[in-house]
Amino acid sequence: MRDTAEAVLGLVPAGVEYADVRVVHRTHELVLAEHDGPGDVVYDDSLGVGLRVLIDGQWGFAATSRLDAAGLADVVTQAVGQARAAAGSERVRLGDPVTTRAQWRSPMEIDPFTVPLSAKLDLLVAAVKEAETAGPKVQRAEASMDFFRDDKVFANTEGALIEQTITESGGGLLVMAADDHDIQRRSYPQGVPRTIRGQRGQFATAGYEAITGLRLTEEAARVGDEAVALLTAPECPDETTTLVITGAQLAMLLHECAGHPMEADRALGTEVSLSGGTYARPERRGAFRFGAPIVSVFADATVPGGLGSYGYDDEGVPAQRTQLIRDGVFLGYMSGRESAAALDGQSSGAARADGWQRSPLVRMTNLCLGPGDSSLEEMIAGTKRGVFLDMSKGLSIDDQRMSFRFGTEVGWEIRDGKLGRLLKNCSYSGVTPRFWAGCDALGGPDEYKVHGIPSCGKGEPLQVMHIGHGTVPARFQDVRIGTR
Amino acid sequence: MSHPIDPARVHAALAAFGPGTTLDIADEHSELLRYARSRVTAQHSERRMRVRVRINRDGRVAMGSLETLDAAAVRALAERLSDALTVLASGVESGRAPRRTDAAAPVTVPVASEATRAFTPAARHAWFSRVRDGLSGVADLGGSIRNETIERVVADDGGLYRSEVLTKASLQAVAEQGERSASVRAVHRDADQIDVDPVAGLLRSALAPLPSRDRFAGTCRVLLQPQAAITLITTYGYAALGAAGYAEGRTAVAGRLGDQVVGDLITLTDDGADPAGLPSGFDPEGTPRRRTPLIDRGALVGVVSDLERAEVTGGRSTGHAVPLGWRFGADPSPSHLLLEPGTATEDDLLSGLGEGLVVNRLDYLRVLHPKDTLVTGTTRDATYWAEDGRIVAWHPSVRLTFRMDEVLNAVLAVGAARERGEAVFMESAVAPALLVDAGPIKV
Repeated sequence: MRDTAEAVLGLVPAGVEYADVRVVHRTHELVLAEHDGPGDVVYDDSLGVGLRVLIDGQWGFAATSRLDAAGLADVVTQAVGQARAAAGSERVRLGDPVTTRAQWRSPMEIDPFTVPLSAKLDLLVAAVKEAETAGPKVQRAEASMDFFRDDKVFANTEGALIEQTITESGGGLLVMAADDHDIQRRSYPQGVPRTIRGQRGQFATAGYEAITGLRLTEEAARVGDEAVALLTAPECPDETTTLVITGAQLAMLLHECAGHPMEADRALGTEVSLSGGTYARPERRGAFRFGAPIVSVFADATVPGGLGSYGYDDEGVPAQRTQLIRDGVFLGYMSGRESAAALDGQSSGAARADGWQRSPLVRMTNLCLGPGDSSLEEMIAGTKRGVFLDMSKGLSIDDQRMSFRFGTEVGWEIRDGKLGRLLKNCSYSGVTPRFWAGCDALGGPDEYKVHGIPSCGKGEPLQVMHIGHGTVPARFQDVRIGTR
Repeated sequence: MSHPIDPARVHAALAAFGPGTTLDIADEHSELLRYARSRVTAQHSERRMRVRVRINRDGRVAMGSLETLDAAAVRALAERLSDALTVLASGVESGRAPRRTDAAAPVTVPVASEATRAFTPAARHAWFSRVRDGLSGVADLGGSIRNETIERVVADDGGLYRSEVLTKASLQAVAEQGERSASVRAVHRDADQIDVDPVAGLLRSALAPLPSRDRFAGTCRVLLQPQAAITLITTYGYAALGAAGYAEGRTAVAGRLGDQVVGDLITLTDDGADPAGLPSGFDPEGTPRRRTPLIDRGALVGVVSDLERAEVTGGRSTGHAVPLGWRFGADPSPSHLLLEPGTATEDDLLSGLGEGLVVNRLDYLRVLHPKDTLVTGTTRDATYWAEDGRIVAWHPSVRLTFRMDEVLNAVLAVGAARERGEAVFMESAVAPALLVDAGPIKV
């Protein structure tokens, strides 16, 4: 791979003011067991090279899976041709050069690719059987685990050469229950707002030890029972009330309300024709109140085990921590070299690419909400009337990241400080700064957990990124809830 | 361009993977120009071969993918999949007993466009410049211009071998003027069929110098312009009209074949051969894409299926399998929806609207509860308010949460003019504007 990277850079013609090349080999394994079926075993293998060039301040990017001499020569021709065709546009600046030469390997205890398939299947089948104990109304039960490994080489014309190996592991459960009138689902330990088989649950930059810590078999019966119980549960009431949410639910809320809006390329308008703009405009840094003073948010690509952790981003910039919101006030952005330079700052090391075939974009790393001093138990005990909601099931937010609505898998009434009836089809809505202004309690450090989500989409062509969210349970006042 | 997929290598790969193998191979070349705030922000060129492998041996299923037909790489994956099959328990009770596509069934293969194949970076820049310059500085331009060529082969060890070349060109233009924005989208298999010249004028016209009004509260009639209607029907089709969801009772229409499920002005068909959409000949299992009537004057008359769910559609797959590892699930799903046009002109629709909301685009429409087709999304890129059958003001973008079947049941008029569009989970959709009565949509 290193030879390929150096060969491509050696083909870059004179007149190219900057070039970087990434050679990426991604392997993916999915093992899925299911109720009433044999499940899936999937092995994916992807190897290719992507080249970015800057000529007269204009980008060109080309990528290929053809790694023979003709393929490599063609990728250079394509990238250079694009950049030259763009001559005359506003020049791109990259800021300080990146010259790092390093190797980095994500830590793990057990290499998941060496664990026998039979052991993985045994664990998953046992979890499915436990979920099935909820009875005949269990229509679908799936337990899955996924493993990813990226071996990648980054090199640029400024002298950088970085080799990284990143291993990720994750797994989870999905149970769907049905009767003649309704169908309901429960997920564990994290919901994913998509229906792909596999790539569900909790993920970490770690080895197989991350799977054994999930307790899939131990939790499966409860998950199945709740799915069945939801079928006969009352509908969520339509009212304005106090909302308590789990850390898993807060992960998606934070993602949409604070994560995407604070990507610097979005603030610079490059996503306007796709997912939109942002309320977090550059002139609002240090002045815009995102939420209550107890709300502080940071992005940190150095969190041990976080799914958004790495040694260096895909421009060779070291992983780092960046404060985005402090005491409720918006401070700044996640950025890459180009967007940081446009905002007269330094890259936050958040330029990431989905494989060899995509150009780096500003992406979330591990977006984390600083813990508070309360606890889930205290929050519920301190609530006279409200709802407690868990796990995303469908969400939408507008193109400025203000007006949102989140569906959830499950809810419970809170009455006089205690959990009451199970509720189904609960959703809540809000407008970002107004909603977060109502945050009056956050769980403490002992409830803090980093949720790994392998399904964040952005860009054209679409890039799917693996990210983490450090969260705690939280409480919000005066929230609109309901089924519709 | 010579076809890069060599049939001899495909057959060698089939032999290496062994009995029960289906290969779904795509050799893709896609190119893209992106722009924002009237300047180029990114360019992209990608060439890749994707080889998706599915082995179904006595009901045991193993799958994989790689990006080459190189013999050594194929052999390595074949060994891993073979090992996996020995570990897997037999799944013959699962409905995954091996099924075969009828290799003799005729396929309508669309014609690839040489104009799209030959599109160059300079040609993309020329399109961009024409739209940007046509705006004459009155608005910032964002969007993208894209062209792609995909050679597809689906083959199995039972003698099936299908191939086709698909081309596609698209232009998306979003004009921004302060807080206001408007968008135009065009997509076609043939780049020469996309008329770039009117785009700037359409955007300028959409950025009409009208006053802004406060947000309306309550329920009112809503005119969904064609691109908004495309988002509605693609989301409805994906959520409600697949055979797996039908058979398992997961969808709103499950068990209701022959019933009136939406209003009688709605006739919806899936047809991969209709040139009004973006035609393609066969699905990832190699099954020809059959024309499949789904809703006839409001009555449910069909759903789409794949080989596994063929029993729902009379024992024959309709040709709507999805790719292995598809990020939107494994169930069969509509691919080429066509909503039948009505007779209403734009003036007729506005006149029928009287007072209400005009929605050009629905964005981020997501399903909250699939069983009752409840979705939530927002309007975007020009939302207007009409009174007395005329557009009189800009209306703020609004969040709309509604049941799709209720909206389709409240359609009062269907436009005569249709537009073509696409969704990330559907190859193409064609729809006219829909005038929706007050009631199901609450602002």
